[in-house]
Amino acid sequence: MNIALFLQNILNGLSIGAVYSIFALGYTLVFSILGIINFAHGAVFTLGAYCTYALAVGDFGLNGLLAGLSMPFRLPFPLALLGGSLIAGITGVLVERLAFRPLRAKGADALLALVSSLGVALIIVNLLQMLVGAEIYSFPSDIFGSLPMAMIVKVGGKVLAVRTVQIIILAVSMVLLVLLAWFMNRTRMGKALQATAENPETASLLGINVDRYIVSTFFISGVLGGLAGTLIGASFGLAGPYFGVSYGLKGLAVIVLGGLGSIPGAVLGGVVIGLGEAFLPPDYSSLKEAVAFIMLFFILLARPQGLLGRQTIQKV
Amino acid sequence: MSAFFDQYGFLMVAIVQQALLGMSLWYPLMAGQLSLASIGFYSLGGYIAAIMGTNPWFAPWREALGPAIYPLQWLIALIVSALIGLAVGIPALRLRGIYLALATIAFVQVLNVLVLITDVTGGAVGLFGIPQPFVSRLGYIWFFGPLLVLALIFSARLTRTVAGRSFMAIRDDELAAQAMGISTTFEKVRAFVIGCALAGVTGAMSAPFLNTWNARQSSFDASVACLAYVLIGGARSIWGPLLGAALLVALPEVLRPLKDARLIMNGVVLVVACIYLPQGLAGLLASLRRPGKEAGHA
Amino acid sequence: MLELNAVSRSFGGLMAVNDVGFSVQAGEIFGLIGPNGAGKTTLFNLITGLTPVSCGDIRFDGHNILGLPPHRIATAGMARTFQNIRLFATMSVLDNVRVPMQAFTRAGLLAGLFGLPASRSQEREMLEKSMALLELVGLADKAGDPAGSLPYGARRKLEIARALALKPKLLLLDEPAAGMNLAEKGELSGFIRDIKQRFDLTVLIIEHHVPLVMGLCDRLAVLNFGRLICVGRPEEVRKDQCVIEAYLGASHAAS
Repeated sequence: MNIALFLQNILNGLSIGAVYSIFALGYTLVFSILGIINFAHGAVFTLGAYCTYALAVGDFGLNGLLAGLSMPFRLPFPLALLGGSLIAGITGVLVERLAFRPLRAKGADALLALVSSLGVALIIVNLLQMLVGAEIYSFPSDIFGSLPMAMIVKVGGKVLAVRTVQIIILAVSMVLLVLLAWFMNRTRMGKALQATAENPETASLLGINVDRYIVSTFFISGVLGGLAGTLIGASFGLAGPYFGVSYGLKGLAVIVLGGLGSIPGAVLGGVVIGLGEAFLPPDYSSLKEAVAFIMLFFILLARPQGLLGRQTIQKV
Repeated sequence: MSAFFDQYGFLMVAIVQQALLGMSLWYPLMAGQLSLASIGFYSLGGYIAAIMGTNPWFAPWREALGPAIYPLQWLIALIVSALIGLAVGIPALRLRGIYLALATIAFVQVLNVLVLITDVTGGAVGLFGIPQPFVSRLGYIWFFGPLLVLALIFSARLTRTVAGRSFMAIRDDELAAQAMGISTTFEKVRAFVIGCALAGVTGAMSAPFLNTWNARQSSFDASVACLAYVLIGGARSIWGPLLGAALLVALPEVLRPLKDARLIMNGVVLVVACIYLPQGLAGLLASLRRPGKEAGHA
Repeated sequence: MLELNAVSRSFGGLMAVNDVGFSVQAGEIFGLIGPNGAGKTTLFNLITGLTPVSCGDIRFDGHNILGLPPHRIATAGMARTFQNIRLFATMSVLDNVRVPMQAFTRAGLLAGLFGLPASRSQEREMLEKSMALLELVGLADKAGDPAGSLPYGARRKLEIARALALKPKLLLLDEPAAGMNLAEKGELSGFIRDIKQRFDLTVLIIEHHVPLVMGLCDRLAVLNFGRLICVGRPEEVRKDQCVIEAYLGASHAAS
């Protein structure tokens, strides 16, 4: 492997891995606080991507109910990204209200929350399909304004392509991680969230309004999901309302690899799987979609608590 | 009457077929284990039947056996599914709760990728033109009907045998079950393998029924549908999977006037049923039969 | 009957059980006492194999049982109850007692499904034995009810009946008198002596209620902060200075 190819793989792996991490953080935050996996997270991811697209590009294609319509305004990409993510965050809150809170109030079986969150996912995805159709949307080439789509860098006589979207992904992820670390460790709210995740009963005894923090968690989780969806959409296009499903499943692999409920684990898991896919030899490229799940299967068998998770002690 | 069967024959057979898939998840759930592997074994069984039905290599077999090739397909699907189920189940069933569910999701995803890149399975296109033993779709009730009846009798008997009671003890309290002399690993693997075998046979019967077979048969959505049949129908009753499949398979037909919105209604039904029918339809029926008495204990 | 040798278990650096060793003679009623968090229940979990031992050695009936899975230890003749009652709540009272007996059955799954004679006679035998056990604890008339619907006291009794169904040589009782009033505690004491005689048992019992333990047990072991601080006959333990300080002193000061 020459140095240019190596760097190219690192770049590709890190940028896709960073998106996996952002996406998986949304899963893991909810898991850490409720002990439940939110299976609607993949749908929120899709929704965020479509909302950003609507705000930035504004056309709704030919097949859905909105066919032929277009938005009266166009936002620059950064603002659209923000808007799309906020809508995704609000959707996250709605998911909590519809699928999780009623079951929590009844103390229902955790299995049911799995199915009800899948039910909400079905609603979101099919609503999208009804509105904008199942066709493929892609962001136009001038989406980043005057920035070029890619830069060509020569390393040791070989060509290295650096896509602008990859730089944006890496920059956005860095900023996000710093923000999230600051929020979790330096703000009252972040600390209260951690306390709630540690032990909801004690937290509520200490006067922490657990329900409020659960709502906040779902909002943050939704924002992260929407951001990830947009970044993936900007890299590879929006391949129909179902395109979140496969990322949703891959996200599960990421959080388990890192350790369910662990924030650093989600980041590490995303990067490991991103790099794993990027460094897959070309002969095996058809196995790319299986990499995450093969890793998931074996990590579960060898170390179910994941790379950075803590082993839980069973109470007798 | 015949017009009725013409119109709804496919639907009725589809309900029975999907109920069988629900049943295949019901057995591990009886032992408290949430597995989403069934759809993978369904796909596997379907490929076995589809390959035996279309691959030139099997032409002499088809020639020699005639319609007897179908039971042979079921038998091979059953054995292969049970063996692979054993190989996957022994390591995977050391995991609990959501971890097991995730491991089985991973298993199905890996299987799907393998199917896509293998030649004998027809890759992304899949296999088509699978020979059909019946002229009308309704005929397939002679495949799925007896299998469902057998599965129901099996389940009903199971709850009154040593194995069934062990399953339920593990579901109620795995740790206490261990302390009471139950080899929980053995019993969990046994419940899982029973489910895998049933899913495999159902798949083998479904390949001719659907005429084509491809990787879409084992999509994540299909996997979730199986789970939904059991939970919406009622995981604690042998009738649960059938009731759930009847509701969820018939629903899109009933909602046909809603056109595209009917898929949204599917989601709404899942959410509403989870919240208002925690014991499933079977639990609802039981509480209607015994008015005043709380059905919550079942 | 049961020998513990330098048994330890730590949870993330915390020594829940630290270098504990004692032996229980056949036919004894042996008490395990100590303040809350002393490691008594953890020790039960180590003995029954539910929690792996960090280091040390446990012998049961002359065999090393370290590393055996819990169900093998159970069928070797060791049955237990749980401090926080762990019945099979949705199963019937009868099935709760029947489940442990199944460990000794021979007829397999297919025999059961087809109702073959081997399985039918086996089922009949289990039914008779289960009903006899339920009779003993006074729950025969509740045989068909779900175990979770029983009142608290009845659930404690059912748990003991379920443990007896394993035909144990050694019965481990984890705070069987918890939540009972004085009269019930006295009754329980008599009941434990009675089943010990009838089933030829050795009993290892965790109990907080000091008069009950003192009256019932042949010997006692006292744990504090995971360490064994004293083993002996009740009157010896009562006089032991360490015990008075660590346990009786503390509980007297509290009350």
